[in-house]
Amino acid sequence: MTQLVWNGLFVGSFYALIALGYSMVYGIIKLLNFAHGDLYMLGAFIGYAMLSSVGIIPASMSITALLIVLLLTMIISGGIGVGIERLAYRPLRGSPRLAVLITAVGASFTLEYGVSAIAGPNPRVFPVRLQGQTFDVLGARVSAPQIVLMVIAVLLMLSLNSYIQRTSMGRAMRAIALDPKGSLLMGINVNKVITWTFFIGSALAGAAGVMAGAYYGKIDFLMGFIIGLKAFTAAVIGGIGNIKGAMLGGLLLGLLEAFGSQWLGGEWRDVFTFAVLIAFLTLKPTGLLGERVTERV
Amino acid sequence: MKLRIPKVLAVGAVAAALMATTGCGGILSGGDGNASGDSGPIKIAAVIPLSGSSAPTGTYMKNGMQMAIDEINAKGGVLGRQLQFDPEDEACDPTQAAAAANKAVSNGAVVSVGGYCSGATLPTLPIFAKANIPMIIPAANSQELVNQKLPNVFLINGTGAQQSAAAVKFMAKDGVKSVALVDDNTSYSKDIASQTKKDLEAAGGIKVALATSVTAGESDYSSVVHDITGANPDMVYWTGYYQEGGLIINQLKAAGFKGKIMVADGSVDASLIEIAGGTNAEGVFATMTQTPDTIKGAETWIADYTKKFGSAPGPYSTQSYDAVRLAAEAITKAGSTDGDKIIAALNAIDGFELFSGPLKFTPEHTLSSGGFQILVVKDGKFTLHDDLS
Repeated sequence: MTQLVWNGLFVGSFYALIALGYSMVYGIIKLLNFAHGDLYMLGAFIGYAMLSSVGIIPASMSITALLIVLLLTMIISGGIGVGIERLAYRPLRGSPRLAVLITAVGASFTLEYGVSAIAGPNPRVFPVRLQGQTFDVLGARVSAPQIVLMVIAVLLMLSLNSYIQRTSMGRAMRAIALDPKGSLLMGINVNKVITWTFFIGSALAGAAGVMAGAYYGKIDFLMGFIIGLKAFTAAVIGGIGNIKGAMLGGLLLGLLEAFGSQWLGGEWRDVFTFAVLIAFLTLKPTGLLGERVTERV
Repeated sequence: MKLRIPKVLAVGAVAAALMATTGCGGILSGGDGNASGDSGPIKIAAVIPLSGSSAPTGTYMKNGMQMAIDEINAKGGVLGRQLQFDPEDEACDPTQAAAAANKAVSNGAVVSVGGYCSGATLPTLPIFAKANIPMIIPAANSQELVNQKLPNVFLINGTGAQQSAAAVKFMAKDGVKSVALVDDNTSYSKDIASQTKKDLEAAGGIKVALATSVTAGESDYSSVVHDITGANPDMVYWTGYYQEGGLIINQLKAAGFKGKIMVADGSVDASLIEIAGGTNAEGVFATMTQTPDTIKGAETWIADYTKKFGSAPGPYSTQSYDAVRLAAEAITKAGSTDGDKIIAALNAIDGFELFSGPLKFTPEHTLSSGGFQILVVKDGKFTLHDDLS
């Protein structure tokens, strides 16, 4: 039982990190950024490229090296997220919602097959692998790398939350989410805020990518697809557009999967998970913590 | 509605006329040097994965086929004509496979020698059957391919049922008392898992502690790993492909699973060991048809292959090589490139030497014995453990 809870929370923290980007972008420009899952994949590949170009890293240094790579990857994948927004989404701002949505799907495919063309279609094995001691916590097997990754994920989420709540940029983001036209009239540089939103969201996805690569060991160019869908589900469950909702939704989705698999068997896990998504969309479309939304994609 | 009927009829008539003309075109074009005619090169098509996650195996297959084609052409070809090799990429994807098969048919293929992913091979069957092109499938081996009962389809790899039989035989031999079966919900994988379950239940003695599926393409398989450690079987039999297989082995070991692990032929790839990480894959068993490494007397062949392509042959390069040789043999015996005659020649083949032994097709167009053996990962490599004979 405690093992299931721990497994669920661990997977859920990955979902939450990616769901945050989905939710922030949706909250501010009402766009479902389908390329977001691919930024997770891109993060993993950027981390892979950096780590393998360094050469052999001694085991004692691997955590330090990983943290440096994590930081650099966040900056690069954030930059790529901003670039995508500039090239693919900004020219379409003000056009029908569907046009932007389809562009997002296009951006997703461009990233996937771009990486496949450059890095090859075969899976790669991450040069640094986090493997460590396991502890017994209340009957659950918990490993040291899992704890490290959980701590990183929680720190990232907490700092994002305080950033949104405490800084003027965060206030501007919330203002635009409420009323973009009004914010523009009040002298907020809307484009700058949107750029910054994409940067943060993409950086978080990139971080999740590096963490997944280092923990699971295998990366491939389609790895962002399913997790992107799951993160979207998490964002909807938590209330899309709501930061705390995305975190809560991610963790909850992880738990749903763990228990769904236990109760119904592995082959029914995804059926169960996505049935919950449908139930949420029909019964409480605003999600757990979401506000009333009048318009939806 | 009444007014529309003539329209529908008209469209139908036009379509029928078009079909008739293209049909005629096909027949007429035979005379002007097209491959399906009596002169020019004989086209051998292969719909195989050259991109995507199965691309490494697809490349082994393509090289094996190319090698056979070059050897046959160097000896003067077949019926006095050269063979022309036409590989088409299907990326292990059913949609792309169907498109690739249609392309191969319109290019004038005489025989198809492709087929690796069963899920992607299945939709190509009716396309080749319609064009009456014989298919010699070197690798794909789902029972579903056999169940279509198409006269033009021949399988020279052991079938899923034969693989399950080998797995069950080894489990009994190894003293395993309970088994967990895990598949990835694809046609190939599900086929082996469900057949193994049936065989185990029929034979009795070995308990199926758990039969479950995972979603391919994810990274975290902790929920299935948790189910397995909960059921605590003597052996886990994974019937999917190597990417997920590697991750599951890694996560099983991390969760402290002490039992045995066995994988099916889709997971026999060096990447499995790499993805599993460290020494996690040591001692993992595999049900597999013969690979170049485990065939006695294949040393010269391996040396030739390595010289030609600059790398050692991998899984299914021998079967693919044999598929082309078999195609050439059948065309020679038929004395023609006509589909029906080649199919008749394939049915009549008795004792043609393949790597897996002398060939004679069963009435179902499969090998009479699957030739499955058990490999084990030793010092980071798949090596022969038990040939089950």
